Amino acid sequence: MTELCDLSAAELAARIRNGEARAVDALDSALARVAAVDGRPGTLDPGDLTADDQAKVHAFITLTVERARAQAEAVDKKLAQGEIPGPLAGVPFTVKDIFVVEGTPSTASSRMLANFVAPYTATPVARMEAAGAVMLGKVNLDEFTYGSSNESSAFQPHPRNPWDTSRVVGGSSGGSAAAVAAGEGALSLGTDTAGSIRQPAAFCGVVGVKPTYGRVSRYGLIAFGSSLDCPGPLARDVTDAALMLNAIAGPDARDATAVTVPVPDYTAGIEDGVKGLRIGLSPDFFKLTYYNHESSEMEERPLPDDILAAVMQAADKLSDAGARIVENVPMPHTRYGIPAYFVISRVEAASNLHRFDGVKYGYRTADKVDDLRAMYRKTRGEAFGPQPKLRILMGMYVSAAQYSEQYYQQALKVRSLIRGDFDSVFDASGEHKLDALLTPTTPTTAFPIGDVYGDSVLMQYADQLTVTADHAGIPGLSLPGGLDAGGLPIGIQLLGPDFSEASLFRIARTYERETETAAWRSARPKVLG
Amino acid sequence: MADEKITPELFAHLVELAALELGPEEGEYIRKQLNNQLKAIEELVQVPLDPTTLPASHGVPYTPAISAELREDLHNPFPHPEAILKGAPKTEDGHFVVPDIPHEDLK
Amino acid sequence: MTEYEAIIGLETHIQLNTETKIFCGCKADSWDDAPNTNICPVCSGLPGSLPAPNRAVVEKAVRLAHAMNADIQTESYFDRKNYFYPDLPKGYQITQYDKSIARGGHMDVPMPDGSTRRVGIHKLHMEEDAGKTRNEKGRRLIDFNRCGVPLIEMVTGPDIRSADEAAEYLIRLRQLLRWLDISEADMEKAHLRADANVSIRVKGETVFNTKTEIKNVNSIEGVRAAVEKEIARQIQAYESGEKIEAWTLDWDENTQTLRKMRSKETEADYRYFKEPDLLAVHLDEEWLSGLLADFPELPLARRLRFIEQYGLPEYDANILTSERSLSDYFEAAVAAYGGDAKRVSNWMMNDVLKLLNERGLEAGALKLTAEGLADIIKLVDANTVNTPTGKSLIEKAHDSGKTPQEIVESEGLAQVSDDSAIRDIARQVIAANPDNVEKYRGGKDSLIGWFVGQVMRESGGKADPNMTRAVLEELLKG
Ligand SMILES: [Zn+2]
Repeated sequence: MTELCDLSAAELAARIRNGEARAVDALDSALARVAAVDGRPGTLDPGDLTADDQAKVHAFITLTVERARAQAEAVDKKLAQGEIPGPLAGVPFTVKDIFVVEGTPSTASSRMLANFVAPYTATPVARMEAAGAVMLGKVNLDEFTYGSSNESSAFQPHPRNPWDTSRVVGGSSGGSAAAVAAGEGALSLGTDTAGSIRQPAAFCGVVGVKPTYGRVSRYGLIAFGSSLDCPGPLARDVTDAALMLNAIAGPDARDATAVTVPVPDYTAGIEDGVKGLRIGLSPDFFKLTYYNHESSEMEERPLPDDILAAVMQAADKLSDAGARIVENVPMPHTRYGIPAYFVISRVEAASNLHRFDGVKYGYRTADKVDDLRAMYRKTRGEAFGPQPKLRILMGMYVSAAQYSEQYYQQALKVRSLIRGDFDSVFDASGEHKLDALLTPTTPTTAFPIGDVYGDSVLMQYADQLTVTADHAGIPGLSLPGGLDAGGLPIGIQLLGPDFSEASLFRIARTYERETETAAWRSARPKVLG
Repeated sequence: MADEKITPELFAHLVELAALELGPEEGEYIRKQLNNQLKAIEELVQVPLDPTTLPASHGVPYTPAISAELREDLHNPFPHPEAILKGAPKTEDGHFVVPDIPHEDLK
Repeated sequence: MTEYEAIIGLETHIQLNTETKIFCGCKADSWDDAPNTNICPVCSGLPGSLPAPNRAVVEKAVRLAHAMNADIQTESYFDRKNYFYPDLPKGYQITQYDKSIARGGHMDVPMPDGSTRRVGIHKLHMEEDAGKTRNEKGRRLIDFNRCGVPLIEMVTGPDIRSADEAAEYLIRLRQLLRWLDISEADMEKAHLRADANVSIRVKGETVFNTKTEIKNVNSIEGVRAAVEKEIARQIQAYESGEKIEAWTLDWDENTQTLRKMRSKETEADYRYFKEPDLLAVHLDEEWLSGLLADFPELPLARRLRFIEQYGLPEYDANILTSERSLSDYFEAAVAAYGGDAKRVSNWMMNDVLKLLNERGLEAGALKLTAEGLADIIKLVDANTVNTPTGKSLIEKAHDSGKTPQEIVESEGLAQVSDDSAIRDIARQVIAANPDNVEKYRGGKDSLIGWFVGQVMRESGGKADPNMTRAVLEELLKG
């Protein structure tokens, strides 16, 4: 019999609503799965990694069992009293530890905030709980979200890929993707700044959605790149992701950039298919660009065959289902996504990290210092890992008065060009009139732990196919599109115009249905045995 | 390396401005990474720009139709300000406490 | 002897009198609150918090910009000014930098000698205040209550030429801020803060010499004194061949002296960039025209009009326009009275202001309406009450909330101008005082005043004094 923790959120919520299961049973099932596969949680002083550690997922930093039990019991009580619980009533979910939750450690996976207990709760978390979902705990990420593998977390052991624990989970929402893949909560709340939801979703074989910028409130999300950050769902299937977005989307008086666009029911019409939709394929997403340190040139490499094949197969399936596939769609500024991101995100990050100064919360140096400036330097020097330091220093450099025009302003203009690429192909009166673009999510499948970490340029280029959506603000969705030769999940990506989440869900759900019987669909992450 | 934009001197200045303190090995690693990143960033400088291309602060164009109204001027106190103070590394008499900025004697 | 002139620019920070802070729902005014009790995740810079801009701040900024004859920008932006300081919880101040809500502007400031100085406005923008810190035994104690209090920073051009002009500008600015209900503008409470940039040059030259900046002055008289001192110091330094350096000077109110502050460590680079957590402030046509539709006449314009329209002396016009509700009251009283405006002005200046000052009130808080005041003056004009009774009605009407007529009726204060009633009282007084009657008739005419007083007293102050006199003179003739 399928365990409750392996059910979809939709199915689990339905069973709880109609009395087939209790919310506390769902909680216990998820906790049992955590106990079986997660191993020890990330801590600041992990000691050596054991063989057992290397076989575990390590998605969590903090389990909030008491809070979860109280929430689950409250859901059961409501049901017993005949009250109609929320649409996600009793569904366990996890929260990337970049969101603050009142009374709960909110660490950003940094020594800087290791002891920070937030006195308030992030809007999307509060909305999940209001919908009846039960927060299991806070999951690991790259320090302050700065990375694409989770290896940079100050809380070790960092998450390991449930499909192959010698490989990375991706990042920065790596704990989220790993937890969902391993059945440790059906849903997870992540954030995407350059691909931080979609890339780990791809690596871990789950669905990840970066909504339109402003669709989900950022209030309570510890900021990285404020003009780019998007909270969004990670789920095991498309319908679950849509259900979760229903819960978290919408305007918020506490976030001035949260838009007032009405939130549709994302599950309505999700089964309606793709007949008549125009879906584009762009060669600019089928080549990879890397900076070659030796030659000082940008180097083009082809997309790995397995990944290209997965995208083409998806195009075929969607075509079979009635979509019109439009080829050779030009997206000429895609290659500038990472260089522009290196500038914009760093400027914003350096500023956002100013507040971590040992004065108000979190870490302060234990050294006896009687000079304020020395206290700042020691506190920040000791508590930030290399990734925050890199981002701060690059941000300082490219926004300095004498360089700002050359770098920062230039990057913002390039962002306009990237946005322009999307605007023209989605333009209803333009040449392509696309409803969505279909692309690969990542340049590779999950890479081995230790392979890339340390080379900050190479690591950043892991986001080259996802980052342009963040620059443009448009929604993007990654969903499982098969397995590579090594049995690792491949992610395929759908990108659409502003606020087109519903049609992305519809396309993704169609593909899911069309591949329901594919052999790879029955494969399970190795940690599940 | 001759084409290093961020020299050790400039790097030291940036570290000072950023209120950081780095060990020598860490500093050298970070400086090297920064110079590598800058080479990738240089790509941007090559992008041909139309003079009409405006910088985009956000990707999504915020038209008034989708933008939130400004907040009304109504008092809405935070229920437990004491919890904010409680999280501070050092407090005294309801204040956050930090070391002083040392004074220079002036004539 | 060489003549010098001073070149002065003022940088003011104006604390707005909104209900809440600029980006959160905490109170704007926490003057009486214990430290760190008026804070929330937003204004104390907690991780994850975001600014939610206050509509009233924008509206007050627009009104001030309009009053300063500035160009209001229909699209303006907030920027981040990045620096480390313990009173700045986010490590950046949200302010407006290159696209602020107003451009340009000026104020024509009348000077006591009758001349007018046009003071240009270089900068006018919205920003958030920082917290307060104080030193104690080698530590610094921080209170965030003031963090996020809305400010308008307004900087003048180098257009002010003396310490007195600087003081006049601030007096007129303070008046305007209160007039438009933008700020309480109380310098002692730091609602209005002024830093002064001061340099000197030989009169007739056009160069700008090195300037010094005077900070921490918390009264208008302080600004006057500090600027005066600094001008004198610079002239002396110049004449003895010393170089004037770009110092920052600290004003000590107690000793009335200037002290040099520590020089800044390095040239600051605040790395300004557009605040990504906020959208452009978009002033649409409807909002803007709504804000400016009922824009009041400003104090200086009204002052001129009072002089021209009502023929008031400058002195009266100055006082009657010192505060908006007072000038509104005056105009309403003049309209209701219908007669000589100067007569209304006299009643206002002598009697109404006396009551306001005693009670610490503004005219807007008076329970005696302007129409009521006009009625009192009319009652006196018509000899219904005499002047002292009329004056007493002001206080009585304010305290009771009744109209002057009601009071006159209920207290029977109407002046007795009935000949027979006065005659009766006068007869009684004459009968009761044969000695004085004797003396009067013997030639001591001055006793008539005493007789009038007696009749007035017996009548409870209601007798018409002129008629009383006439009746007495007639009766005493014998
Ligand atoms: Zn606040």
